[in-house]
Amino acid sequence: MTDATPDDGVRAQRRTALNEDWLATIVGLVILALVLTGVIPAWLVP
Amino acid sequence: MSTTEQTGRRSGVGWAVGGVAVVVGLGAIVRYLEQNIPDLTEGTAFGEVAGAIEYPVYAIVLGLLGNVVLTQLGVREKLAGGFRTEFFIKTGLVLLGASINFAVIVSAAGPAIVQAVVLISVVFGFTWWLGGRLDLDDKLRALLASAVSICGVSAAIAAAGAVQAKKEQLAYTASMVIIFALPSIFLLPAAVGWLGLENPVAGAWIGGNIDTTAAVSAAGAIVGEEALQIATIVKTTQNALLGVVAVALTAYFAFSVERTADSARPKARELWERFPKFVLGFLAASIIATIYIGAVGSDVARPYISTVNDLRTIFLILAFVSIGLEFRVAPLKDAGWRPVGVFASATAVNLLVGLGLAVLLFSGFSSGA
Repeated sequence: MTDATPDDGVRAQRRTALNEDWLATIVGLVILALVLTGVIPAWLVP
Repeated sequence: MSTTEQTGRRSGVGWAVGGVAVVVGLGAIVRYLEQNIPDLTEGTAFGEVAGAIEYPVYAIVLGLLGNVVLTQLGVREKLAGGFRTEFFIKTGLVLLGASINFAVIVSAAGPAIVQAVVLISVVFGFTWWLGGRLDLDDKLRALLASAVSICGVSAAIAAAGAVQAKKEQLAYTASMVIIFALPSIFLLPAAVGWLGLENPVAGAWIGGNIDTTAAVSAAGAIVGEEALQIATIVKTTQNALLGVVAVALTAYFAFSVERTADSARPKARELWERFPKFVLGFLAASIIATIYIGAVGSDVARPYISTVNDLRTIFLILAFVSIGLEFRVAPLKDAGWRPVGVFASATAVNLLVGLGLAVLLFSGFSSGA
């Protein structure tokens, strides 16, 4: 584990992490908005 | 893109969807067990224990069992694209923000920032130093030091990008994070009981110690709601400092370790690029819920916030199931004892310094949970 060349796999994982970061933020806030506005009622959540 | 590449890509997406289906299926079983086992076992010898078992325990155990079964069937690696621990945990944490009054975040921010800065400096410095003494590769040192001192796998990914590490080094560090985090989920809550720590101190200790954010939430949830809230605030503060460390590493490696004439100067923009955006979602959810409760009154708001909390629990269950499914021991065997020794020693230092800071900064703190 001493080879030091940059790795496409690392770049891809970093990109995925950044995308998941935004996606999680958006999904979380949209769910919050849908619950607070009554679009997702309590009975729908197991 | 050639036809073969397109077919390969479609097949990869298909397996990832299958992986998500496995996570959701196991998550549904966990939710059923969590809600029904205490009632089903009431009056039996197992009944008293069942009432005390929190959902992270069911989720991780079922995840590990699923891991064994899928490995035996030879499909675990193919399905792994669907084990999105980071996405599930971050969505769960954004939703967790809605259950924390923004005033609590503001009052906890001071001690949380002090704890995060001191802990990251001490633990990063110690890991970097010990890794140097044991002659580890500089890039692996940077990955291990970032992972153990900041926030596990996300920090390792950011550091790998900053120092241009190899994929094997990142995979190795990520495996080490999970292997150390898994027992911590159960050992730290047990230690909280032995040491008789108050909930806020316990939360600060857990949040400052366990590397990966998902495992912090699991351990915090086992201790209780207040510990979970403080652990999340402390861990989120550490996450927020990730961008600073990543940019510092970029600068250090560009100018000191691999100094070349065309070394790219790290830009201020990178600080923003590497800032974990879910922290903004967590803060926004807290602000939205605080304003909402203020506007409609706590009695009207309570059932809505309770539904948000149920959804948060579901996302956390999916994250904990994914932790169990992702667990791998093999990479550790390949790398030898030195990196494991560095990581274990750094974890021990983190535990001790973290406990001192948590007692010093969070004794007497109340979140009102």
